[in-house]
Amino acid sequence: MKKYLRWGAIAAAATVTSLLLASCGASAPTGTSSKSVKSIKVVIAQYSKDQTPKFWNAFKATYEKQTGITLNLQIIDWNNIDQQSSTMVQSGDVPDILNENAYATYAANGLLYNSDQVLPAATKADIIPAFVKSGTYKGKFYGMPDLSSARALFYNTGLFSKAGITAAPTTWDEFVADAKKVTALGGGNVGYAQPLGPEEAQAEFAIWLFNNGGDFKANGQWTLNSPANVATLKFMKSLSVDDHVTQNNPGHTNRTDGAFSLFEQGKAGMVVGFSPLQGALDTQFKGVKYAIAPMPSGNAAPAQTYGVTDYLMSFKKAGNEAAVKAFYKLYYSPSEINTWIKAEGFLPVTTSGLKLFSSNPALKVYLDTLPNIHLTPTDDPEWDKIALTIKQNIGLAVGKTGDPQKFLDDLQAQAVAGK
Amino acid sequence: MDIVTPGQVAARGRSRRHRRSPGTARIGEALLWLGPALILILGVVIYPAITLVATSFNRYSIIGLRLGPAGFQNYLNFLTSPDLGQVVWNTVVWVALVVALTILISLALAQFLSKEFFGRRFVRWAVIVPWASALVISSQLFRLMFDYYHGIINQLLTSVGIIHTPIDWLGDSRYIMPSMIAVGVFVSIPFTAYLFVAGLNAIPTDVYEAARIDGSSAWSTYRLITLPLLRPAILIGVVLNMIYVFNSFPINWILNGSNPGFGNDTLITYMYKLAFKSAQHDVGESAAAGIFNVLIILIAVGIYLRFVNWRQGDKA
Amino acid sequence: MTAIRITSRPLRGWKRARRWVLPLAGFVVIIVFIAPYLVMLLDALRPAGEVLSVPPTLFPKTWTPAAFAQVVTDPAFDNWLKTSLIVAISSTIIVILVAIPAAYFTARFTFRGRVAFLGLIVVTQMFAPTSLVVGIYREFYDLGLINTYGALILTDAAFNIAFGLWILQGFFAAIPKEIEEAASIDGSGRFGTMIRIMLPLTLPGVVTAVTFTFIAAWNEYVVALTLIQDDALKPLTVGISAYVTAYQQNWSQMFAASLIAIVPVVILFALIEKHLIGGMTAGAVK
Repeated sequence: MKKYLRWGAIAAAATVTSLLLASCGASAPTGTSSKSVKSIKVVIAQYSKDQTPKFWNAFKATYEKQTGITLNLQIIDWNNIDQQSSTMVQSGDVPDILNENAYATYAANGLLYNSDQVLPAATKADIIPAFVKSGTYKGKFYGMPDLSSARALFYNTGLFSKAGITAAPTTWDEFVADAKKVTALGGGNVGYAQPLGPEEAQAEFAIWLFNNGGDFKANGQWTLNSPANVATLKFMKSLSVDDHVTQNNPGHTNRTDGAFSLFEQGKAGMVVGFSPLQGALDTQFKGVKYAIAPMPSGNAAPAQTYGVTDYLMSFKKAGNEAAVKAFYKLYYSPSEINTWIKAEGFLPVTTSGLKLFSSNPALKVYLDTLPNIHLTPTDDPEWDKIALTIKQNIGLAVGKTGDPQKFLDDLQAQAVAGK
Repeated sequence: MDIVTPGQVAARGRSRRHRRSPGTARIGEALLWLGPALILILGVVIYPAITLVATSFNRYSIIGLRLGPAGFQNYLNFLTSPDLGQVVWNTVVWVALVVALTILISLALAQFLSKEFFGRRFVRWAVIVPWASALVISSQLFRLMFDYYHGIINQLLTSVGIIHTPIDWLGDSRYIMPSMIAVGVFVSIPFTAYLFVAGLNAIPTDVYEAARIDGSSAWSTYRLITLPLLRPAILIGVVLNMIYVFNSFPINWILNGSNPGFGNDTLITYMYKLAFKSAQHDVGESAAAGIFNVLIILIAVGIYLRFVNWRQGDKA
Repeated sequence: MTAIRITSRPLRGWKRARRWVLPLAGFVVIIVFIAPYLVMLLDALRPAGEVLSVPPTLFPKTWTPAAFAQVVTDPAFDNWLKTSLIVAISSTIIVILVAIPAAYFTARFTFRGRVAFLGLIVVTQMFAPTSLVVGIYREFYDLGLINTYGALILTDAAFNIAFGLWILQGFFAAIPKEIEEAASIDGSGRFGTMIRIMLPLTLPGVVTAVTFTFIAAWNEYVVALTLIQDDALKPLTVGISAYVTAYQQNWSQMFAASLIAIVPVVILFALIEKHLIGGMTAGAVK
């Protein structure tokens, strides 16, 4: 056996060497391949196990009936969609429609249709201007929004009244004072559940810095290490390191199974949440009494609502233009888009949707702010890398030995160098 | 068709020593017999491996679009990345400890499982369970069990008084690697233990009888007779576990999932993060890492085999 | 373990004691190995919201089989189970069919390229599937195999040929040549000899290869994740993960589904365990 393995090791080395040589002649991936327009491939991100397939399968049926074009539907979990879409692009198997949370690099690489080519003018006019702006790269609208969400401060009214707090905090000082009171209740309660682990830390950072007068970009220039941003991150660090009002180790806590779950279990006084959390609280965790308020602001900065939208982008492929057009036309028809957004518990991206949803009082706190929503600079391809760096490393910057100033200086340097 | 008893296996084990050298055959006939295996391996492993090599020599945008040739730039970037040293060290610790602990525990467990006793069948079924469960799901389960707030492990340890304040098993850098290693060992034991049970069954019983007549102690019987005869099985166990543990993805990915930076990554999770989660977001550099990984595991297995060879030569 | 002198008296005492010491130790081993999966079972028997409760409780506050009921009535789960069964069984059959002739031949004959062939086999084990998956995708896309059972069957078979071949090769090599020579005097061809005479002697090896391949294919995740995007064609490992996403967490359903997925493997193992034990190291004793 040993001999056999040793031969193997030798032969393996030889094989790898020959592979290296062979690679010089290996063909590079081809670009887009032309496909029959009789079918399109639609790759959708999975928001929930039940609702996403249900809606899109019904959509597929309607689309096929209307157009006679086959819609090949593929639903991919959010955790894997980056890897899957990259694999498709590397293999020259780009979809016709892709649902992702970033579009700018696809646009910069020249792979996408813009709205002039595939979106009816009336549909574009219906999309809320803030989302048109975030979907626009170099003057053309590529990133068609599929749905949106907005973040707000969720607070546990049960814990608040136990701690003698009557209203949601409106300033950072009030926020810290309230968080201290909830923490002082003991019994494992924490004032604020702060998720700065790699899952979604850029969102947590964004919502706090927007409400401190900060931003990632100003006048087309990166401002990642602006004084307001540095002050924000120092404040975020102090919540756990100095004030001890957060859960254990925020830099190592993810949002979904960390911060949200603490709030859902009634152990956190406050958390930054969005409508899916509301949905979970209203169905699975009815024991938790909560209310939703705008984010408290630091330094008397004007209140800002942080929002997120995902995109339905379309790829230029020979002969698929009409099919893609028909896809958008159907998707943005009120009966389709609003059905889905409602089922998944998200927020609309169209003016007509805004009107329709305004009848729901539970969504009022978000809907009022939607037209002025503050988004991250998704229109800059560089942002995709900046966001990843924030997600991956901000948890280290807010640890006991972390250095917020240095982290943001490095981030700024990375953005300016564009690498 | 007869069911082969352990005794027969043992008999075969003896007959092996009288094996004759194989005959020779023409390459054409060889292709006929090996063809199907060869086609599968070339198609599903070697061809993609060539793609991997090609990828490592090209430049890609973050969405995976090829921009042009890269020469050795991806390798240079990978080999000079500041986190590589820590990641390599983590990998060495991870592979060495998981494999060593797995082998030691499996040896003891195999010894136990080859004894005759009431209920042995049920013990054997139970030991298979961690192997039968998908690693992705087992890792999710352990992530919940190790959690600082809702983990049952802290709860049990505090309630019996072993610890007084909960431990952040998956967030405190002192405990992350040990926790992952514990899970790695746990899920590697079943396969390894069965490998050794089979190895023990293949040892002829008359060897033991001879030892008993000599009056050897149980320990010296084990050391002087069992272990040397188990040597081939141990060799296989070590080599296969080295490869599997090195290439293991879900445990580190899921248990280390809420930690920032690359301080607890192994080469495999680091390779994945290079492609999709890091600022580089570069499938070209990740492919270079993939090639590097194959070379590392080849070298590691080679060193181990040489070490074993040297020790054996020393003894003989 | 310390050095214990085996003298006759303690030995007799031990003989009496082992009647209950060994089963007791066996019980402890059972508990250790299934404890995490008991926790999984207890989590599957709670309402989804209770799984992450703080502080945790070992036993559910509310016992409910709802998660199991939801999983078994979920048509998606039926599809995943079907895929996993088809893929695991088919790839196991392929491995056996392909590995037997190759193992027999490499064990019995020398030929030019034998070393290279065996080396290639070892190499297949060293590449992490994570790094090969893009290449596999590209190839299968060109062949039109994306979103087919065939894609998974072929990859699972190819990844596991190495182990099957190696195990079986040990068995074939161990069979004395005289047996084969006697058979060829009978006028059997090489292939006939292999099937009629040699194969029955290697049964434990076949069983080992079957177990190993089946489990590996049943639990394969990385490749299936990339090659199968059609929800109805996903195998269990990929499908089950969808119960817990960034927006919706059904931990109890995920665990209920996982426990159900373990059952076929344990049943398979219980059926062939006896044959398995003899087989696993035959390849090693060489």
